[in-house]
This record gives sequence, structure tokens and C-alpha cells, in this order.
Amino acid sequence: MSAKHQDRGLVMNEVPCENQRTMSATAPDIELATLWFLAARAMTAADGTLGTARQAAAGLYAQAILGISEEECEQAKAEEVISSLTLLDCLGRLSKAPREVGEKIMTGVMMIAYANRSMHPLEVRWASMLASSMKMDSDDFQRCCVNARVMAGMLGTHAASEVTGESDSDEAGADS
Amino acid sequence: MSEDRTNFGFLDRCDDRVAHLARQAEHYVHSDPDSCLFKLRLMIETMAKRLVSMSAPDMADADLSSMLGVLERLGTLPRRQADGMHAIRRDGNAAVHGNSTPTPTAMRRLKDAHRLSGWYARNIKRGSKVEPGSFVPPPAPFEQSKGESKLNREIDELEDRIEGQRRRTREALMLFREDEDTDGVRKRYRIELKALDMIAAAAGEPVIDAEFVALVMAMDLEALFEHPSFGSDSREARRNAEAQLAEVKAELERNEHLYLEERANLVQEMRLFKRRQLRGET
Repeated sequence: MSAKHQDRGLVMNEVPCENQRTMSATAPDIELATLWFLAARAMTAADGTLGTARQAAAGLYAQAILGISEEECEQAKAEEVISSLTLLDCLGRLSKAPREVGEKIMTGVMMIAYANRSMHPLEVRWASMLASSMKMDSDDFQRCCVNARVMAGMLGTHAASEVTGESDSDEAGADS
Repeated sequence: MSEDRTNFGFLDRCDDRVAHLARQAEHYVHSDPDSCLFKLRLMIETMAKRLVSMSAPDMADADLSSMLGVLERLGTLPRRQADGMHAIRRDGNAAVHGNSTPTPTAMRRLKDAHRLSGWYARNIKRGSKVEPGSFVPPPAPFEQSKGESKLNREIDELEDRIEGQRRRTREALMLFREDEDTDGVRKRYRIELKALDMIAAAAGEPVIDAEFVALVMAMDLEALFEHPSFGSDSREARRNAEAQLAEVKAELERNEHLYLEERANLVQEMRLFKRRQLRGET
């Protein structure tokens, strides 16, 4: 996938990039992919539902917005990489991530929460913990929520077909 | 396998229409692989319609892709079965659009259809004994020459590559690996979340009334969408995000087109080879 190591810039509403810490904002890597999968998986665990389309939307978000490649997705989900990590590890890593990366992750995680059009208490709590770990203020959080809603509406319609690696517009999908 | 032998006899007691289409597909696999794919696509559409009519009747008139999506979301259609159905749908559609299907591809999809039929029959006839048996490839009417066998092997290798790449793409998109104990992992995260929730509550964080929060968030969002400082940014963000998504989709499309092109070249090579054979040049 060509997304690898591309600087995709800020898709979402621009936020001043401050608080730069250890993770690179421009070079997607395994660390970013692992952080994303931990945060996103926890959100799907929070309300107990896990649909294929919801998973695929999360995958598309990772590749299109975070710029994580197929290979990085695979590597990050490898047992030896992710299975020993806890949600505290996730919060710790997120607190060290650059602001821009953190906001994109927050947006993606909220997109997952919005996908089934309801909020579970644990989903709210997880979002709140993620925001706290980044010291995100309420304005920035709201901005992420708005973007998440936009993304949820957009990716929800694409995810089912993307799950099999094709699009609505190719000839195979033309008559579905 | 004799001429009247079929791999799909077990379907007769379960679904006449599906059984009939499966037999027709089997009949055409060597003589007309495109027709085999048409029949297989219709077969899985018939299967999907019946499954949807049982679990989501209001979707019974939807297109095949949407029906499969609904069945996946409802948990009726497991990942592996969904992969098989999508593969047949995709190759069936490609055949309808004039992309020639080589026999090895049709044979693969026929084998997929056999596996899917066993799963389908068990779902339709719950409690009944369903014995699909092992798939026996329908024999070719004529013995293949060395040249034909070589080309068929190349096509098989290409199909292996295509399936491998599609599987990798799908696996990359999913949040959990196929071989992972998804329920176990999510249970662990849930326990952690509850523990963190309790710690937060003990630390004086307010107890969350999710419904209230969701309502407030929804109202906030409506207001934010209209707000001049957010509304225009959101539209811009959507345009940017759509462009980035389109980039990923375009790459997936390019891969699929490359596969179809490579497959078409091999089919063409096979045709030329057969012509040379007829002229006695091989």
C-alpha cells in the first residue's frame, strides 16, 4: 500500500501542533499502528459489539487517515507485539504521542463509537481517559467529535465493500 | 466422477433452486467457465436472499453486496463464508462485464460454492444431518496437453496470488486477526476498562450517564455543525478525508484491474494455444 510513510497532512480541522514528544507525526510506523489498534480495539470492547463493517471502517481510517500501511497493520496485530500490552500502556503511549497524532487517534476512536449510533458508559469513559491522557481540552475534544461524526457517516457507507478489497465503482461492484 | 455424478446432491433436500444452479455451474465448468460463474453468482445471490429473508426481511430486495454486508453485520455470515461469497460475486460480476474466466478460476469458485453450500444447508436445515462430502473436481472432457497444463498451472498460481493479496488486504483492515481469540481479547479489555472506570470513580470522576452524554453530544454536534467556526472546517475536512480515502480505494482498484488484466492475458494465451493445437502446430 502506497500509504506507507506518506505525510498525509492534517485531514481534520487544523490544530496547532505543539507538545511534540517521542512519536513522529509524519512517519507512520509500528508504534503508531500498535497505539491505534489498542485504542480502537478497546472502544469496540467497551460497548460489546463488533461488526465486520465497523472493523473495516476502522481499518480504512487507519490506512487513509493515519497513513498506516497494510504491512504495518499486520505487524502491529502480531501476537508478540500487541497481546502483552494493556490499556494503561495505550494511555501511556498516547500521552507521549504528538498532539496531531493523538487527535487523529481520538477522532478515529470516536468514529468507532459513533458507528452504531449509541454510546455506552464504558465508551464515554474510554474517550474521556484518552482525552485526559493527552490533556485535551473540551474544544479540541468537540472538534474531534465533529470530525468523527463526519468520518463515521462517510466510512460507514464504504466499509462493507472495502472489506473485500474492492470499491463500489469498479466493474465488479458496478452491479454489486 | 461420472457424468451424472454431482457434488451438490445434498442440496436437493434443502433448496431446489440453489441445487439446480449448482448443478448447472458444475456442468459448465470446463465447457463454458463464464457461464459457470454466472450460475454461481446467481446461486449465492439466491442463498443470500433466503438468509436475509430469515434475519432481515426488509433487506430482501437489496443488491447482493448489501445483503452480504447485512448478513455479516448480523453475525449470520462468518468471515470465511463471506470471503467465499464475495469472491464468487466479484468473479461473477467480472464475467458479466466481459472479462473471460479461465477454467481453473471457475473450478476454484465451484469448490468455494461447494464449501459454502454445506454451511448454507446446515443453516437452513438446522438439526438435520448435512453431508456435503469432499469436493470432487468434475473431470475435463478431454485430456489436457502439456502446454494446456502448463498454462493452467500459471493461472492457478495467479489465482493463489490474487487470493493471498485479497486475504492480506482484508486482514489488514480488520481490528482483530482471524486466528485471534477475539472474544477473549475483548473480554480482557472490558475487564481493564471496568477497572479503570472504578479507579476513575474512586478518584472522584463523575459517574457517567451514557444516554445523557450521548444526547448532549448529539445536540452539541448539531450546534457545532452549524457553528461558523466549525461548519466550514468540517466540510473542508470531509473533502480532504474523501480525497485520502479515494486514494486508498484507487490503489485497491488498480490491484484488482491488474489481476484481471493478467488473467485476461493468460486466457488469451490459452486461446491462441488451442488454435495452434487445432491447426496441428503444437
